[in-house]
Amino acid sequence: NEILEENPYTTFTKDYFKTSGGFRSAVVTGYAGMRFNYGPIGALDLNVFGTDEWTNGDQAISSPLNVYNVSTSEGDLLTPWNNNFWHINTLNLIINLKPEELVDVREADRVVWVAEARYLRAQYYYLLVTQFGAVPLDLGSGELQFNDLPTSAFNRLPVDDLLVKNYQAMIDDLTFAVENLPAKRPERAFNLSKSAALHLLAKVYLYRGYSAASQSTDFQNAYNTAIQLINGKDTYGAALLENFADVFREGNDYNAEILYAVERLPKNNTANEMLDPSTDFANKANMTNNMFNSNYQGPIFVFDPSTTPPSTQAYIDGRPLEYGRPLRRFAPTQWLFETAFADKKNDSRFDNSFRMVWYARSVSATPPATYVDRLQVIGLNIGDTAFYLTKTDREADSLKALTGAQKKNYRVFGPSEFYTNANRTNLIYPSLTKFQSIQRANFQDASGRPLPVSRFAETYLLAAEAAMLLGQSGEAADLINVLKRRAAYRPGLTPEEVESRYAAIEVTADDIDIDFILDERTRELAGEHSRWPDLAARGKLLDRVPTRNPDAANIQPHHVLRPIPQSQLDRISDPDKAKYQNPVY
Amino acid sequence: TVQDETGAGMPGVYVVVKNTSLGTTTDADGNFSMNVNSNDAVLVFSFIGYATQEVAVNGRTRVDVTLAASVQSLDEVVVVGYGTQKKSDITGSLASVSSESLREVPVANVQNALQGRAAGVEVQRVGSTPGSSAQIRIRGERSVSGSNDPLIVLDGIPYQGNLNDINTDDIASIEVLKDASATAIYGSRGANGVILVTTKRGKKGENILSFNSYYGISTVSKKYPVYDAKGYENLRDRSVYLGGYKPEELESIQLGRSTDWQDLMYENSYITDHNLSISGGGDRSTYSVGGGYFKEKGVLPAQDFSRLSLRLTEDLQLNDRVKFGFNSMNSYSIRNGSSISPMFPILSLSPLMPAYEADGTIVKAPAGNDDDRANTYSPLYLKSNDHDWVDRIRRIRTFNSLYGEAEIIPGLTYRLNIGLDYSQEENSQFRGMDTYFTPNAGNYASVDNTEEWSYTLENILMYEKTFAEKHHVKFTGLYSVQESQKHNTFVRKDSITSDFVEYYNLGTSVETANRRLDGKEAKWGIVSYMGRINYSFEDKYLLTLTGRIDGSSRLSEKWHRYPAVSGGWNIIKEDFMQNVRPVSNLKLRVGWGNTSNQAVDPYSLIGGVTNTWRNGANNVPIVYNFGTKLQNGYYVSRIASQKLVWEFTATTNIGIDFGLFEDRITGSIDWYNARTHNIIYNRTLPATSGVNSDYATNIGKMQNRGMEISISSINIETPGGFQWSTDLNIFWNRNKLLFLDDGFVRNIENGLHIGEPLTAIYDFDKQGIWQTGEEAQAQSFGQVPGQLKIRDISGPDGVPDGKITPEYDRTIIGSGQAKWQGGITNRFSYKGFDLSFVTYARFGGTLISAIHQPLAGYLTINDGRRNQLKVDYWTPENPTNDFPAPLATITPPQATSAWTTLGYYDASFVRIRSINFGYKIPTAVAERIRARSIRVYTTVINPVVLYSPYMKAGGVDPEATGTGKTGFVQNGGNIPDRALTVALSSPPTRSFTLGLNITF
Repeated sequence: NEILEENPYTTFTKDYFKTSGGFRSAVVTGYAGMRFNYGPIGALDLNVFGTDEWTNGDQAISSPLNVYNVSTSEGDLLTPWNNNFWHINTLNLIINLKPEELVDVREADRVVWVAEARYLRAQYYYLLVTQFGAVPLDLGSGELQFNDLPTSAFNRLPVDDLLVKNYQAMIDDLTFAVENLPAKRPERAFNLSKSAALHLLAKVYLYRGYSAASQSTDFQNAYNTAIQLINGKDTYGAALLENFADVFREGNDYNAEILYAVERLPKNNTANEMLDPSTDFANKANMTNNMFNSNYQGPIFVFDPSTTPPSTQAYIDGRPLEYGRPLRRFAPTQWLFETAFADKKNDSRFDNSFRMVWYARSVSATPPATYVDRLQVIGLNIGDTAFYLTKTDREADSLKALTGAQKKNYRVFGPSEFYTNANRTNLIYPSLTKFQSIQRANFQDASGRPLPVSRFAETYLLAAEAAMLLGQSGEAADLINVLKRRAAYRPGLTPEEVESRYAAIEVTADDIDIDFILDERTRELAGEHSRWPDLAARGKLLDRVPTRNPDAANIQPHHVLRPIPQSQLDRISDPDKAKYQNPVY
Repeated sequence: TVQDETGAGMPGVYVVVKNTSLGTTTDADGNFSMNVNSNDAVLVFSFIGYATQEVAVNGRTRVDVTLAASVQSLDEVVVVGYGTQKKSDITGSLASVSSESLREVPVANVQNALQGRAAGVEVQRVGSTPGSSAQIRIRGERSVSGSNDPLIVLDGIPYQGNLNDINTDDIASIEVLKDASATAIYGSRGANGVILVTTKRGKKGENILSFNSYYGISTVSKKYPVYDAKGYENLRDRSVYLGGYKPEELESIQLGRSTDWQDLMYENSYITDHNLSISGGGDRSTYSVGGGYFKEKGVLPAQDFSRLSLRLTEDLQLNDRVKFGFNSMNSYSIRNGSSISPMFPILSLSPLMPAYEADGTIVKAPAGNDDDRANTYSPLYLKSNDHDWVDRIRRIRTFNSLYGEAEIIPGLTYRLNIGLDYSQEENSQFRGMDTYFTPNAGNYASVDNTEEWSYTLENILMYEKTFAEKHHVKFTGLYSVQESQKHNTFVRKDSITSDFVEYYNLGTSVETANRRLDGKEAKWGIVSYMGRINYSFEDKYLLTLTGRIDGSSRLSEKWHRYPAVSGGWNIIKEDFMQNVRPVSNLKLRVGWGNTSNQAVDPYSLIGGVTNTWRNGANNVPIVYNFGTKLQNGYYVSRIASQKLVWEFTATTNIGIDFGLFEDRITGSIDWYNARTHNIIYNRTLPATSGVNSDYATNIGKMQNRGMEISISSINIETPGGFQWSTDLNIFWNRNKLLFLDDGFVRNIENGLHIGEPLTAIYDFDKQGIWQTGEEAQAQSFGQVPGQLKIRDISGPDGVPDGKITPEYDRTIIGSGQAKWQGGITNRFSYKGFDLSFVTYARFGGTLISAIHQPLAGYLTINDGRRNQLKVDYWTPENPTNDFPAPLATITPPQATSAWTTLGYYDASFVRIRSINFGYKIPTAVAERIRARSIRVYTTVINPVVLYSPYMKAGGVDPEATGTGKTGFVQNGGNIPDRALTVALSSPPTRSFTLGLNITF
């Protein structure tokens, strides 16, 4: 009966993936899904909070992930948990499609697309395994197979065996990707290439070496893989930029140091999959431009006693695009400011990563008269320095002591002022600028910049760490010094000045140990949202976090793994749910 | 002379000589005269609302007749599925609502008209803006993820979609079919009950013109209790919010100034309805034509609903054997502001902030904290609209039915029904540049067009015959086909050249990357065969056999059979009852039958590959850019449901109809037990299954048992004309999930708990607040006095473990199911005066007050950042057990999910829905303007809530405002989409209306 047949116009079936357009569209979905892991608040929380580098700003006081009050219902856990598996499943489908099943797909295209898909699958697993430990390879229809059975099972047991398989699957996928991806990425796009695959493969080897699933060859493989990329950097189109400041400079997003970034386009909501970039903090939003900002706008007032009642006015009128929305979520720890970046002169990376000065600005084309007038009461004009964080208390004290013509009209804060009371009441602090985004439609908006996932400088750090683990501390120091040399560079310095600054920060084999590597990673990678897994994978969370981040002093041994989310356990039919959970949760 | 029951002469009664075209009408005093050509002539007297009487002349020259009101007449004919039946012949369970009682409460739509009117019919509102619909449940819920809405049949044709399209004034009567023996005839769509809506048709007789009109003013009956300036300051000073007071707030503190944002925003609103209709007809043709205008404006600016409707009905007797007729109902409605809700700013703006500058202009961004200040403009801007925004849903619907009926041989009739339904809806949205909706942002507009059509074709064969004077047999056979298709196109564009263009031309502006285009299509069909036999023996013993076979396009097992059998025994007609004086009617009904529910959307069996992902309520296309090059992504979003079979419900019903004291007291009692098998349900799979959408599957069994009692009585009737009558209905339903066949005992994520109702609430159990002196105990849970105290129910070893975890410390703490509910309508009349009260009550059950769940509404979060609902929060000086200390709640473990437990309240309430007082102007007076009758009345809608523990605790209205998470500010807790919740919405109102009914 014709009336009882369904002939839909708008519904696709799985056969679509057998066509050229369909196969590619599944790869695109794999790329797009990485946005869930790079940018939104949940992903940032998981990777930034509760580390030695970062604690909470005043808008995120006592955030569970920072104070290690992590419950199984913690919403941030769902960002990777609820999003990565469905991407993995579609990737499983196309990876397993046989050439003879396909329609109009050129074999050369297929191989590259499968290589991209396998890289992405490995990365989705990497993101899960580093947070949760072992996670299912079998989604219901067999390991690494596409699942279309309505299962209520959770194939996580036995956990130890599964972790071994997880790492092996990632290594197999990335090995395939290294062999089959194009050597270089396009100049102005982040299609996956051998460079990204080598980088991630080196990292996975290294992390497996640290893990319970370690194999004796892991550190050697990690070293070999990283060195392959470093030595072949011209082949793979990778390079260190001369000036650290250029690496994250807005507009220079496609530079050769970035091996792979999750892409977005400025002001393009369609491309960025954003319904409303001013209100969506989760999903696929890139919130990095707003989350690290201190409260430059709120509570610091110009006080005008001449009116009745006395009126007050913020130094900065509104939220200028370059300063971002002050969401005050992530504040650098005192350790990061004073210890990791003890030398802020010879090492340019602090200045190139943090904002310490804010200028009086108005977001209005015609600044309101009340604002202009009240600024003038204290002798400031729009464009003048509004407030300034000094690197030392001595500098602050001397600025504040100036009088007469030399008196500074702007506010000055010394470190002892912005590091009181363990950040709880601090509203102003050095703010990370790596992700600053001026090209936005509205000052509330999330960023439209690509967000780097892997960067060539880190390849040196991975190689150095592997070398150290293999007992080659000299080699490790040489690799680190490549970064040190670049860190010494600042435009305008003479070669001699650069050389002398380099000499001040250069390291030798004796300096190299795991803590040094981690400190150096902070200097190089501060805020690049992988600190938590970096510490967790190396077993250094419990050692480093409580002493360097007082808010996180509650960390317990079981916190080195995240809990399996409650909603996962609630959805599975096995009533004995406890056996699937990570210890103690 | 023709008189009514009070002895008054009845004007306008149509008198006709049977089997001729001779006829006349009575004059103002009820007198009539006519010539008849035979002494054996039989006169037929008919008048709307009265039982038609036939009186033989028998050679008399004066005939006096008293007509009785037809309400509750036993020989009354009621509409049943595919036909009509004498009430005394009915073996199933049904409830009737007359147009008179519908008129007692002026309402916008059918759902609201039914509230509290029929036993077993539960109507709960699901919105508070004008034009909001309401949810109807007949005998509880059977389906988990399928629809639980009853089938609406309008003049015989299944009606889908928006009930706002029906003008309530056009309705002549509503019948609700409740048990399977009554609904099995609708087979696959009968499981949720069937509501038969019959519109007014013309009657033989003089042309009658009637005009019905009312106008009412509504005011807010209860404001949300928020803090005034002083109270807010107290809360804020106790909280650890660090933002500091704004200069304007400091000024207010100094001046003692307080802003009541609710007072500033709420407006008086109105509801009005005007209907004009003409009906009448001669011997061979009758007609009814009408037009209506309805408008309701909300108490918030920018919200209203209006509807224009036109109806035309014609019935034509072509000859003795062939009848023909059609009915066309057309409506045009506009709903404004349905997606605008400024309630959050109204309740959360700081009362310390002034609303107006000294010069009287609106303070642009009156928030007391920087984040809201950047995002929130004053809601006062909503009071004027100069190309600032458009939020309009415009619908046009035309619903037409046509029939032809022919008597082939005596007793055998063939009837053809054709239904044609078409609707078009345009949802136009526009938000101007830098306005209330778009602070510091550009403009945008969208147009969402939905077109829907369907046709129904029914071939019905009826045969009716009495054998040997005792055996009465009626057969009905049917073959029907229905198809429906819906198509939607959506476009959205920003950066419109100028605000005055609004949404009218999305092409005039520069191309930007943020345009969106979307389209959807769905088509379904259903094919049915049905047969029914009604047999009665001496009108005493009744038997109904029904069988139906339905085929649906949506399921893999296309066909399903629906048998039903029911019997009735008119005990009153037995000889032994003749001496039982007080009993005037007694009937027993027993029935059993199968019905089902199509429950799934079209195309659920196939596909599963899409290119959009879910962002809250929106589908966002997967697009990724490689550099500046954009590509689309597809993925497997859903497991195709390879095997989906019918969800069906077997219902047993036993009922008694009774009448006492010559039917001064009538009523019925029904007991039923319905079991639903193969429940179709959209299971949420664990994320590790690799599928991110729900999976439709047949899953288990459910039970609904219940009891319904309805009684109508004439309590007092005096010879002087005073009458007091009462309609009472009481019912309860017990819903229980019996079995899930995938091994779950508790499917927590989906809110399914075996042995519990579908509306069960599974959450932490609040014990109170940790008090001073309990420091040590609190400390063991990592808490301090002032924080939420939750019951430690169990642990990994089956005993309390001193830890609060979602795994072991959540339990069933209630359900949305009422213990019992009902309605009572009291009517008083004396001479021309009439007075009625409609009271509606619900007892038992737990209400989910999302506004009291800190994270769902952000209105009880106690963080000082914004103003909020007044709650009794803990302080060392105020050792309450109600709400935690300001912000102290943020730190306990499980904070986010445990907080939902603050939002559960006793859902009981008793409310008077309306008081209606009318006066019928004496005929003599009416005559002066040549009117047959004039009635004026006044109605108070929602005058008072007599009892509600929730309102006592700070709620504004005990009835739900929506389902699932509709209206939530943030996502709070695990609330299934089917749950009724009280979320943030327009405040409840009370209306006073004045109305007029005139007929000429």
